Amino acid sequence: MLTDALSIAIADLEEEQVAGMVKERLASGVAPLEIVNSLQMGMAEAGNRFETGEYFLGELIMCGEIMQDSMIVLEPLLIGSNAEYKGNIVIGTVKGDIHDLGKNIVVMLLKGSGYNVIDLGVDVSKEKFIEAIKEYNAPLVGMSVLLTGCQESMKETIDAIRAAGLDTKVLIGGNYIDDLVKAHVGADYSAQAATDGVKIADEIFSA
Amino acid sequence: MSEKQMLYQKRLERYITAMDCGKPDMVPVAFGVGEWIAKYTGTTLQEIYYDLDKSNSIVSEMLPGLDFDIFKGGPSLWWPPMFDAMGSKLYKFPGIGVEENSTFQFNEQEYMKPEDYDEFIASPTEWLVNHYLPNISTELENPGSYRSTVALIKGAAAFAMQGGIMAQAYGKWTMDHGIVGQGTGFTKAPFDTLGDALRGMKGVLLDLRRRPEKVLAACEAITPHNVNCGLAGAGADTRFPCFAPLHRGAYPFLNPNQWNNFYWPSLKATIEGLWARGKRMLFYAEGDWTPYLDKIAELPDKSIIFQIDTTDAKKAKEILGGRFCLQGGVPTTLLTYGTPAKIKEHIKRTIDELACDGGFILDAGGVVMGDAKQENVIAMIEAAREYGVY
Repeated sequence: MLTDALSIAIADLEEEQVAGMVKERLASGVAPLEIVNSLQMGMAEAGNRFETGEYFLGELIMCGEIMQDSMIVLEPLLIGSNAEYKGNIVIGTVKGDIHDLGKNIVVMLLKGSGYNVIDLGVDVSKEKFIEAIKEYNAPLVGMSVLLTGCQESMKETIDAIRAAGLDTKVLIGGNYIDDLVKAHVGADYSAQAATDGVKIADEIFSA
Repeated sequence: MSEKQMLYQKRLERYITAMDCGKPDMVPVAFGVGEWIAKYTGTTLQEIYYDLDKSNSIVSEMLPGLDFDIFKGGPSLWWPPMFDAMGSKLYKFPGIGVEENSTFQFNEQEYMKPEDYDEFIASPTEWLVNHYLPNISTELENPGSYRSTVALIKGAAAFAMQGGIMAQAYGKWTMDHGIVGQGTGFTKAPFDTLGDALRGMKGVLLDLRRRPEKVLAACEAITPHNVNCGLAGAGADTRFPCFAPLHRGAYPFLNPNQWNNFYWPSLKATIEGLWARGKRMLFYAEGDWTPYLDKIAELPDKSIIFQIDTTDAKKAKEILGGRFCLQGGVPTTLLTYGTPAKIKEHIKRTIDELACDGGFILDAGGVVMGDAKQENVIAMIEAAREYGVY
């Protein structure tokens, strides 16, 4: 159960309340990082509500929007504070596909759960994936694809990651992703629902 | 009557009987030549998209060996020259914006802003001409200018040219191969018009919280246009359904309350408006629509053909079967990752479960893209004939 009023407000999608509280807390000297933590707890609760069927994608997107608006205020103030991340995750929509709705929701939930997410955007080449995995030494890479016609480029990317000698775990997600696709492209995990990503990340990073 | 004409009549009857929930002599099979054909013909997707004659001749070469009933069209969904003439920002086409063998992509943006709602609601088409076209096309940025006028003429000419070429091709395929086209006309759910084309997914989802009354008013304003669109584009034909690709109503974008209050009423009104004029809708339910089947069952009997993509097929049969024709049954991923043997096995089971008492058309669940294997697609048609006799 949430007890912090700010966490409750963002979990309940109270846009104006959240904006007001962030301002008030900053004015009264609360550390920006502490405010971010409160927001993240509320976002995690929104994720839980999605999982139990209370929330749908519309609610998750709204929650992400409120978080984003808050971060515009908070981010410049965070410089210098030591945010502690659970780990680095590289994520992107694979080459040939420009859909990012699903990816963005997963990014938001992962960030909300305390991960440092390196979002490469859409239409991402295998070279870019490999470069980012190396640079951030990421134990997990997430790949998103909506169109079945672009699933092959997911396979090419995973093959290239393996050929580069990287043993980073690969998580795939998208509307037409199932076990058949997972086996074909050679991924380690596949996600069907938005909140699966966080569960799988927690499993990998707690090991 | 020639042999091909007789074949056409037989297939037409099969299709119409199934649409009316009856039991024809065999399960009708729907088939389209998708982008997958490119890799078997030594052509790039860019050529197939831009060169309609080439694309149509590939179809003409393919058809003679295949026995199916309902034709869903050739490999290119759009003819890019029309979009190019207007400098359209809406799509990236093979070779322009994406690689020559990558499929087209819709570039979704907030082409309509929150502050545009009132003007749009007051007169949707006027707003589209004055603001939407300039927003989505570099060549139409200054309405009334020389450049804009010429681009508009070129775009309209290209649209008419494409229509002419395709009508001719369909005529030839019907005469030469006795196939029946799936539909005539095109429309959308009003909420999708708003959420796909105008405000974008994120925009419309946020609007549902920030300005719900505007969303409702906009959907209401769009409804009569979408009824007209389904009929007018079909030249008032009512034998065949109009195609309606449905998007934002798929689970789990909207919560049940939003679905019931924002997505469904205007779509239902569109379907009822069409049905009152004798026009059926191919309710192309992309994704999963399982939670909404009970609401869909409120529609007038036979007013739609319900397309099963990732919706629970057994539930669809249980809730909609007998009152609405169902179409689908073959998961699109199976056409890519399966084998002909697996597909045959799947089709035998599907026909047992879904086709038993009629009102069923066998088809791939969703849009079959460039990844499908030709041998699997052909195995689907063959298995349908093998197991599909009533």
